[in-house]
Amino acid sequence: MADLGKLYKKHTGVLKHREWRGFKDTMYDYWRWLITWKDMIVMVLKAPVSTVKGIWKYRWMASYLTTPAFIDRHVAGLRGSHLRIAHLHYNMIVKHATGLIHTSFVADEKINPKNKLSKKIILTDEIIPNEVFSGFPNLKVVPLQTLPIFLSSMVDQQITPPYLEVTESFGVPADVCPLPSAEAGVAIEDDYPKMGCCMIATNMPCDGSIMNSSFLDRRLKLPVHLFNVPLRYNGEDVQEYAVDEIKSLIEFVEKQTGEKFDWDAFFAALRNTNKQLEYELEKWDINKTPYPQMTGAAFWLYRIYYFNLSGGVDKRFLKVDKKVNKLMLKAYEKKTPVSKEMRHRTVVWSCPANYYTSFANWLENCWGMNVVMDMETMISYLKFDTEDKEQALKDLAKTYQRSIMRKHTKGGYRNVVDELWRIVEEYNADTVIMYDQISCKGMDGLAGIFDDQARERNVNFIWVKQDLMDPRTISRRDMREQVNKYMQTVLQEEPLDPSLVDFEDDLAW
Amino acid sequence: MRDLKYLYEFENLLQEANNELVKQAKADGGIALGYTCYHIPEILLNCGNCFSVRLRAPRTGSMDIATYYMSNFLCGYSKAILERAIEGGYNFLNALLASETCSEMNRSLEHFELLDLVDNDKFFVTFMDAPFKIEDHTVKHYVKQARLKILDKLTEVYGVDTSDEALLKAVEEHNEICRLMTEIGNYRKEDNPRITGYEYHILNLVTYCCPKSLILEKLRYTAEELKTREPDAKKNFRAKIVVVGSEMDDPDFTSLIEDSGALVVADRYCFGALPGRQEIEIKPGEDVLTQICLHYLRTSQCPRFMSHEKVQERRDYVKQLVEEYNADGVMYEQLKFCEYWGYERALASYVMSGDYGVPTAAVDRQYTASASGQLRTRVQAFVESLEIKKIAKERQAKENG
Repeated sequence: MADLGKLYKKHTGVLKHREWRGFKDTMYDYWRWLITWKDMIVMVLKAPVSTVKGIWKYRWMASYLTTPAFIDRHVAGLRGSHLRIAHLHYNMIVKHATGLIHTSFVADEKINPKNKLSKKIILTDEIIPNEVFSGFPNLKVVPLQTLPIFLSSMVDQQITPPYLEVTESFGVPADVCPLPSAEAGVAIEDDYPKMGCCMIATNMPCDGSIMNSSFLDRRLKLPVHLFNVPLRYNGEDVQEYAVDEIKSLIEFVEKQTGEKFDWDAFFAALRNTNKQLEYELEKWDINKTPYPQMTGAAFWLYRIYYFNLSGGVDKRFLKVDKKVNKLMLKAYEKKTPVSKEMRHRTVVWSCPANYYTSFANWLENCWGMNVVMDMETMISYLKFDTEDKEQALKDLAKTYQRSIMRKHTKGGYRNVVDELWRIVEEYNADTVIMYDQISCKGMDGLAGIFDDQARERNVNFIWVKQDLMDPRTISRRDMREQVNKYMQTVLQEEPLDPSLVDFEDDLAW
Repeated sequence: MRDLKYLYEFENLLQEANNELVKQAKADGGIALGYTCYHIPEILLNCGNCFSVRLRAPRTGSMDIATYYMSNFLCGYSKAILERAIEGGYNFLNALLASETCSEMNRSLEHFELLDLVDNDKFFVTFMDAPFKIEDHTVKHYVKQARLKILDKLTEVYGVDTSDEALLKAVEEHNEICRLMTEIGNYRKEDNPRITGYEYHILNLVTYCCPKSLILEKLRYTAEELKTREPDAKKNFRAKIVVVGSEMDDPDFTSLIEDSGALVVADRYCFGALPGRQEIEIKPGEDVLTQICLHYLRTSQCPRFMSHEKVQERRDYVKQLVEEYNADGVMYEQLKFCEYWGYERALASYVMSGDYGVPTAAVDRQYTASASGQLRTRVQAFVESLEIKKIAKERQAKENG
């Protein structure tokens, strides 16, 4: 495994050649690389004119051409079942995302004026999980910001700065969270595909995203429904309001589209979601043992992807889960080590940087820090009632209150501080990578408390500053350097792979 | 202009959160309730023997400890409140009523509980959940939260009378304050106002930070005094402006603007009078608490309200103030690191100048602004631009006959 750092060209992060993982694993990895290309080519062939026009029209679309390199970054150093599990997950993401791109371009009125699909689309804020829309099987849901900015920024770190600059030129300060700021930038630049019969905005996850809705609203010029999710969600006193909000959303969609909410379709989707949750909890249980089988970035990336976008409607996710868990259980029974050397069972807390999603892989390959659980994965794990309508809505409301970037950052400090220590104990972790997402006001506001309590618990508590979407403020290399310093000076450890300690990748995708 | 008799006394009251009148009310058995946000209906904190104190941290210096707890990237107001609390500046409080309306203040106030900052066994902090739009079910939710998190809690811990009669009495007192402040504030609509923005800012802050019953007499006197007050024959300003923006409890900011040639004629910011000092009409036969809550939801101009109607209403309201108070322009101010106003300032100032044709300037500022030369330069430049526009307009009017 050593010398992974020497595989890449300086600055650009482009591979000089593929990693040699032994014959079998190298061939598997190469086969999967070909499948990624195949899926992307199939997407183009399904609607060649629209897709090519989309590539020329939207700055962010070109980033998706680098998807194979994105996957390479995220499977570096992996072997055996871990490699296969990661590839299966990433491939499902690619399959679903290419479908989403296809729908977006075919329905885009800028590319295909007067197409009929557009009016069958409900645009949603990306942070709203899809379950509620499963009750409208004749409609399609497109999360507005996912393709133009959220996903593209993970694939290509260079794509966000231009949009941030647009927003800042408009007068929004540079200190706001760069995610909503970049989303506003896409709106100002008119870089969202034009489609949909209505838009569902939300107050999730945080203050910045609440505020960028005015920018989106101004550009989209669609009927907008505001879907509120209570913030102080631990109390039962907010649940009636939460359910009323879901009912109000359903009523709005029915009114806008003339469709009737289909409870059977809704329950069917919830059953799938429940099944998916069972698979998820199995993964968590294995990771609590001395033989975790899924560490690194695939864990949380897949989790947040399906949590928001599957909605229980796309059964392909279930097939992947089934296959993955079979592999995982088999490896666990054999007590297969997840990586060459697991030195530190690590929990990652706070929002990860979109521009460095493979950071967890680097931690593992360079310092033997295996991420056994993280904040993004630890979102709602409540099961749905699939028979009683009112109860199902109550469960859905509670799930939404515990969604991505929301569950921990809102509702009181206990949800993020006490929860961290619970996870550390449950997963028997000795190290916490604590992201200091410098623009996240909700997390910044607890910096000292985290420090105080970490000292009391005597865990390795490593702050890693990052700026979520903006690698210009704190680069990937700067992020690595903070860990290096801690490992070398505080723990005085030697790296597993010295070639990974310091390298330049500022120009990489 | 002749000095206002009580202005100096009012200025002194604003030098401390725990000022002489707060101490007096406490000595008389009053229950001091702190709050920081418009989403907490002020009237509810003035029931029975309670009195509200909107928290400020006057004369803030170093915020080192608060910065340790909340980093460099949070707004100065939330950090100043925490710093002052750690110093023991809010030990007089009996309770802190909060709402999770902005992340920064929410975190700041959570530290009261986390660090056990107030030396009082019965002290409590409560957080309510406030909605982002006004619909029947969101109003119901807000009322429920107000009942549960504020009124019931006060009754439970301090045995406060929160009956409808007690609420109506609090409304009555509140309305009298509002009538006086509106009467005084209306002088700002005059061509050559008999009250400055700074003076009004002081009076208004006093109404937020002191027990109302103890300032009423002096406010009444001030209102009477103003009836006969003559403004200087020569105007002391070159342009009139409306100030719109985030939390502002620093009269020196208004003073800085006025020293730079502008007169602040309308205060549309948190801690301002617009909204905040409007009477509440209680219709007989309807639920009192609901009517109070609805008043706050309807009048709130917080950018946190994200529904389309509310966004539009905020812009229309500013335009209306410009017309009503004969202002020449609008200054949008944002407390640095305020996420809400960071966006609102940018877009609203763009819309205001582009769509509404109102000259607009947008500035960000620190919690205490008195020493900001940069800010002074920006205000001066804005005033000059307003003057130039005025001259150009007059010239054009002459040319058109």
